[in-house]
Amino acid sequence: MTLSDDALKGAIEHCAREPIQIPGSIQPQGFLLVVDEAASTVIQVSANVRDWLGLDPQALIGASLSSVFAEPERLLQRLDALPDEEQNPFHIGEVRFLPGSSAGQPMTMMVHRHDQVLIAEFEPAGDMSGAYGNVYPLMRGFISQMNVEESIEALCQRSVAEVKRITGFGRVKAYHFDADGNGLVSAEALDEDYESLLGLSFPASDVPAQARALYLANRIRVIENANYQPSPLVPGNNPMTGAPLDLTFATLRSVSPVHLQYMRNMQTLASMSISIVVRGQLWGLISCHHATPRRVTFQSRTACELLGSVLSLQIESKEAHAANQRMLSLRRQIVQMLAAMADLDSVTGGLRTMPEVLLGFVGATGAAVISGASVDVYGETPEREQIVKLADWLSGRDPHEVFRSDNISRDIPELPLLASSVSGVLATAISELHSNFIIWFRPEQTRVVNWAGKPEKSVSPSGSLSPRNSFALWEETVRGFSRPWDDMDCEAVIELRAAVLGIVLRKAEEMAALADELKKSNKELEAFSYSVSHDLRAPLRHIAGYAELLSDIEGSKLSDRGVRFLENISESARFAGTLVDNLLSFSQMGRSAMRFSDVDLNAMVESIRREMLPDYESRTLEWKVSQPLPVVIADAAFLHLAMRNLLSNAIKYTRNENPAVIEVGSYEEDGKVVVYIRDNGVGFDMAYAGKLFGVFQRLHRMEEFEGTGIGLASVRRIIERHDGTVWAHSQLGHGATFYFALPKRG
Amino acid sequence: MLKPILLVEDNPNDLELTLVALERSQLANEVIVLRDGAEALDYLLRRNHHHDRVAGNPAVMLLDLKLPKVDGLEVLKVIRETEELRSIPVVMLTSSREEPDLNRAYSLGVNAYVVKPVEFKEFVSAISDLGVFWAVLNEPPPGSLRLARRPGS
Repeated sequence: MTLSDDALKGAIEHCAREPIQIPGSIQPQGFLLVVDEAASTVIQVSANVRDWLGLDPQALIGASLSSVFAEPERLLQRLDALPDEEQNPFHIGEVRFLPGSSAGQPMTMMVHRHDQVLIAEFEPAGDMSGAYGNVYPLMRGFISQMNVEESIEALCQRSVAEVKRITGFGRVKAYHFDADGNGLVSAEALDEDYESLLGLSFPASDVPAQARALYLANRIRVIENANYQPSPLVPGNNPMTGAPLDLTFATLRSVSPVHLQYMRNMQTLASMSISIVVRGQLWGLISCHHATPRRVTFQSRTACELLGSVLSLQIESKEAHAANQRMLSLRRQIVQMLAAMADLDSVTGGLRTMPEVLLGFVGATGAAVISGASVDVYGETPEREQIVKLADWLSGRDPHEVFRSDNISRDIPELPLLASSVSGVLATAISELHSNFIIWFRPEQTRVVNWAGKPEKSVSPSGSLSPRNSFALWEETVRGFSRPWDDMDCEAVIELRAAVLGIVLRKAEEMAALADELKKSNKELEAFSYSVSHDLRAPLRHIAGYAELLSDIEGSKLSDRGVRFLENISESARFAGTLVDNLLSFSQMGRSAMRFSDVDLNAMVESIRREMLPDYESRTLEWKVSQPLPVVIADAAFLHLAMRNLLSNAIKYTRNENPAVIEVGSYEEDGKVVVYIRDNGVGFDMAYAGKLFGVFQRLHRMEEFEGTGIGLASVRRIIERHDGTVWAHSQLGHGATFYFALPKRG
Repeated sequence: MLKPILLVEDNPNDLELTLVALERSQLANEVIVLRDGAEALDYLLRRNHHHDRVAGNPAVMLLDLKLPKVDGLEVLKVIRETEELRSIPVVMLTSSREEPDLNRAYSLGVNAYVVKPVEFKEFVSAISDLGVFWAVLNEPPPGSLRLARRPGS
């Protein structure tokens, strides 16, 4: 029978709605009395008191406890001593009934208070001394063998063996629920004629939600015979509430007919389940099966329940220990990365120095660090283009949340190409302002799940769920998933993110402080320029003025030497004046706002050539200017100044060449326009190349080549203000080439 | 009778060199020298020391930007705000073209400015140009022409 998904879903929901805590009946391996404690009378009974006590149910209803039990005072004392907070059935020992066919026979009595009444369950008494003799040494052995090194699997294995020994069930298995609620059998102990289920997965729908809730509340559940005839409660409702009696904690609670069918389909007529509860969640179950009906004594149940609790605590502590160890190692790796970032004062730079830590700490096979336009990749990653698209997609999300997916074709359908190279993505933003991310990748991991039977249930004509008939191995291959990122991975990433943001924030503060300081020193520089312009220029002007007046008025009376001295005075004063002027305009270059526009370099070179014609018209100078030079986006006035400085240098330093050759050309490199000016002049020693662009750095003597030592410093400042770079190559006596590179602007 | 040329300059060296420059430009106007902004205002407004001077405005006023007591800009401001003085052509003298106050001078309605060049010859020619322009041609409405003369241009 093929099922539509809807029908199946409906049936599962229907199954999950079945009110299994109020079945209105019990299993018949014992019987039940409901007591109104205030009135000290029986108010509800299970119909099988007829079988167990030979009494009509109606005969018991309304009966006082003292008319039902021998030694009623002792019983009442025991009831008074019951712990209030305990909801699970409490063994209060053996009692004897006064009326009926079993009068005087010892019966084991378990009571619990729930649903406003006292629920008392009775079973034939077992051999208590035997129980203590057997169960206690078993448990002591079990607990004493526990140690820190034992793995959870080994612990489970020992537990199932122990449970098997205590109960004698033919197959005892432990399974652990995954995040989706599917249970994987991880340990098993079985008799020869039982089929092994080890390694098989049971689908989540095998244990519906309300059954899980019951497993959490009541840690042990026994079905002694799947073919039992349930014994109804009389009257049907709890007289105190007027509603069906809540049997959540009752040992004898009757179970769902679907579950009984499931058991019969599995060829198991008796079963017992012990809950493994870790951190308040149903972690797994120890599940016992037997092919034939099987009695589980109260003593065995108690021992198993205790074992389940110890096992739960052990798993919890082992998991916590493992988590601590893992967190410790994660923190150590985070600290390593942070140290590197702090060392280099750069997040991306720091990560570059330790790719293995970046990948290893969350167990990724690839990672990408996106900061502005730069994308650093490590290990196995998707194509750069896909990474950039992923970063775009991520920037549409809440930047405070870590993104994790173990199946991106399911979670990011917008980027189908991404899934062709990876399946798992873990990502975090590392900036509050910009779309900067660290992204980790995991590859697809094809996984084979061995289901215990094809995980499909069939739906009966009435629309209720009927369990599958076959539990034979059914292999499913799961594709498109990576190994999932666990909570610890996410937590580590959140910690890394917080730390990185801290670094970035601190850096921003430092930058702001630096900017303030720069602003201040800029102001000081401005004030300085201002005073230079006034205070330094005026005396120079006076020296030049008076020297000239002296030469005009008294020149005839001076000796030739005197005249020459006067000329030197004027010349020096003029030079100093030029120096001051150049220095001022140099300082202004750093302050003025840039006005970008299209600049035609051919036109610019041509106009500078014309402008400087007086400097070289008497010489043989050959110009080789590439046609066309590019049109660049720059501040026209500033670039003109830089170009004029470079060309005027080329003209100056080729003064002694015949013919002088000056070449201007350009090329593109790494998205930049590089312009070069080559001459065949005196050149310079590359040993001094580092000084070339500094203020007041001169590589020639004044009498060889005049100059203030500010020209190339201005060139550098101008180009750098365009976010460009300058450099030069030369060989002494063989000319020089000056380059500047400007970024291409949109 | 030609109107005088008013020169307001505090630095004695600059004063002497400017006077030589004016002398060389061979203008017939009398040059009246004032040594700070306060004195310049006294003269213009005929008060204190200058209360008894002959009435009438100068042909042109050469005004240094930086002056003791009351600086050039303040003097200029008073001139432009005073009805009787408003038409006086004012040429601002400055030490550098990097001077941030030049923009202020423009907005206050200066007629021209001269950057005092290091080269004395240039200074002489700049001063004579301006002197001739303003002292001889004299009467243009204030603000109608802004002549900037830079060294070497």
